[in-house]
Amino acid sequence: MKQYDLLIVDDEQRYADMLAKRLRLRRLTCKVCYDGQAAIDIVGEDSFSVVILDLRLPDLYGTEVLTRIKQRRPETAVIILTGHGTEKDREQCLARGAYSFMNKPLDIDRLVATMARIKEKSS
Amino acid sequence: MMKSLNSLTGAIWPRFHRKAEEHLNPYYTFQDYKQTWGMTIFILMMTALLPLIVMTLIYYQLIETSINTESLLRTERTASNARRAVTFFLEERLAALTFTVNEMNYDQLTNPGHLSEVLRNLKLGFGGLTDLSVIADTGTQVTYAGPFNLEGKDYSNQPWFMECQQHNACVSEIFSGYRDVPHIVVAVKSIRQDGRFFVLRATLETERLIQALSSYKTGEHADIFLVNRNGLIQTPSQFYEGESHHMNIPLPDYSDRTRAVMSTDRNGQPILIGYAFIDTKIAPTSFILMVVKQKAGMMKVWLDLRSQINWFFGISALIIAVVITLTSTVMVNKIFQADRQKAQTMVAAEQNCQLASIGQLAAGVAHEINNPLALINETAGYVKDLFTIKQQYKEDPDLVEHIDAIIDAVARCGTITRQLLGFSRRFDVQTQPIDLQDMVSDVINFHKKEAEYRNIAIHVDIPESIPLIETDRGKLQQIILNLVNNAFQAIDNGCFLDVRAQMDGPEQVRLSIQDNGCGISEDHLNKIFEPFFTTKKEGQGTGLGLSITYGLVQKLHGNITVQSKTGQGTTFVVTLPVKIEKETQS
Repeated sequence: MKQYDLLIVDDEQRYADMLAKRLRLRRLTCKVCYDGQAAIDIVGEDSFSVVILDLRLPDLYGTEVLTRIKQRRPETAVIILTGHGTEKDREQCLARGAYSFMNKPLDIDRLVATMARIKEKSS
Repeated sequence: MMKSLNSLTGAIWPRFHRKAEEHLNPYYTFQDYKQTWGMTIFILMMTALLPLIVMTLIYYQLIETSINTESLLRTERTASNARRAVTFFLEERLAALTFTVNEMNYDQLTNPGHLSEVLRNLKLGFGGLTDLSVIADTGTQVTYAGPFNLEGKDYSNQPWFMECQQHNACVSEIFSGYRDVPHIVVAVKSIRQDGRFFVLRATLETERLIQALSSYKTGEHADIFLVNRNGLIQTPSQFYEGESHHMNIPLPDYSDRTRAVMSTDRNGQPILIGYAFIDTKIAPTSFILMVVKQKAGMMKVWLDLRSQINWFFGISALIIAVVITLTSTVMVNKIFQADRQKAQTMVAAEQNCQLASIGQLAAGVAHEINNPLALINETAGYVKDLFTIKQQYKEDPDLVEHIDAIIDAVARCGTITRQLLGFSRRFDVQTQPIDLQDMVSDVINFHKKEAEYRNIAIHVDIPESIPLIETDRGKLQQIILNLVNNAFQAIDNGCFLDVRAQMDGPEQVRLSIQDNGCGISEDHLNKIFEPFFTTKKEGQGTGLGLSITYGLVQKLHGNITVQSKTGQGTTFVVTLPVKIEKETQS
């Protein structure tokens, strides 16, 4: 089992890859996957401090993935990153244990700052 | 009291007479209410008054015709009766003379004593005789009985004497003669035994004739008199004697029976003339009997009645007119009010509909744009990261600046899409009790620094009596924030901003946000709640702020209105229910 800083789950492959590149430039280790089931599987295999999760995925809805991840790895912080989240989505996600709810386009500095806080907390 | 006063003003000067709200015009069922109002009044007036007018005129006509006919008949009857009296007066005396000359011969009559005896008997039997004389065929008076001694007088040139020679009897006109006393001469001719003729002549007092005529006079406007066939007055006339004793009304045409005609007197006043050409069975006369009545006098009763009818008609017409005008005004105004309400509802519905469809479009656009935007953001961010994090690109500050421009643009697009989504979404309304005063001061606090810096006076007047209102905190906060932001953008340094709240009935709170800034022109005022409508320079405003505010107020079951005057400032008034039922929309 390998230890990573982040898992990025987003069906838009180029977006996910680009975000991963940027985070790696900031010396964060990260993996990328493009659907819900893959994300659940990967979380089962490796350990991540943070999962960045899109709500609209081709196979499963984001909230479902969130619940399953939290079941497997309650210590993993899940940050929801979506393009069109409603207030209701936000409430549901936070109720299911999401750490934070962010909208696209992303402010990367805010994400990095959040990451730093999470890391600080866990250590 | 005020309400009834208003309804009275409404009835007299209804709303549709005032300046129209032009944006409602296309939605009215009837376009020209003033015309509708005028037509309604006109048609009702015509329907109500025309039969009344026609009936009154017909009634006038009938009454006048029948009164005219009646008057003519009465005048004719009077003339006929008077004619009989005059004819009888003359015939009686002519008959007496005829009897005398037939009964007595010339010698007996020329005996003065005998003649005096005859005169006395005639005076006793008939009266009205002044004297009696016998005139020989030479025209010389042979014998005379009476108060004057006229024996030896020559009458051969007198018209009555010449007429008597022709017709065996005659009646003179009324004349003064030698004695200068008005009188009539009646005479009958008789043949003596020797074949020569003589004439028995009597002088009649006109007094009795005048008295007889006067007794037929009816009413103060009636006149009855005799004229001769040349129009010369024979017996006194009260009104119609003109210059040199001539009658001042035209002489009627000859008729052998009594007639009555309408005419006018010299002043143009209508008169009724009853007349008869008088002839006796024994001798013709030159008398015309005139009965003249002033029509106005005869019509007085009718005129009085007509004046009463006129008053009655006038007052009835006035009452009908007032009732019709008031009723029509009230009814047309009611229709107008209903139509206006319909138009307002339609305008609001159309606006809502527009907002909804634009909202859907906006949501679609936002969803679709957001993903590529996110990608641009990350890609550009990555390029920037390369410059800032990797050492080999650090040398080129110019490129970094350009990348920053891309990222800024993306950030702005992000704001727009978020607002678009915010505009279209229907969130659940979460109600909780809110202290309006706290909320307003929270919002104002955001702007405190700016207000100090720009020297803007902010007055907040929210009385303690305003209760806690149960509504959605987030939405209310956004509404107030948007309106205050809006005001801050509209006002110059040194202006003021007033935030006031008051109760509007027991169920509603009225929050007004007033500034004395640049104001909104009338053209723009109708559009300010439409999405993407902005007067700001391109790139400075999205045109969504007020449109979102409008949607939020609707969601809180409230209402928002705006009043503004260019150069004087703008007032937004938000009316909210004190408590709202939770919305079930998702």
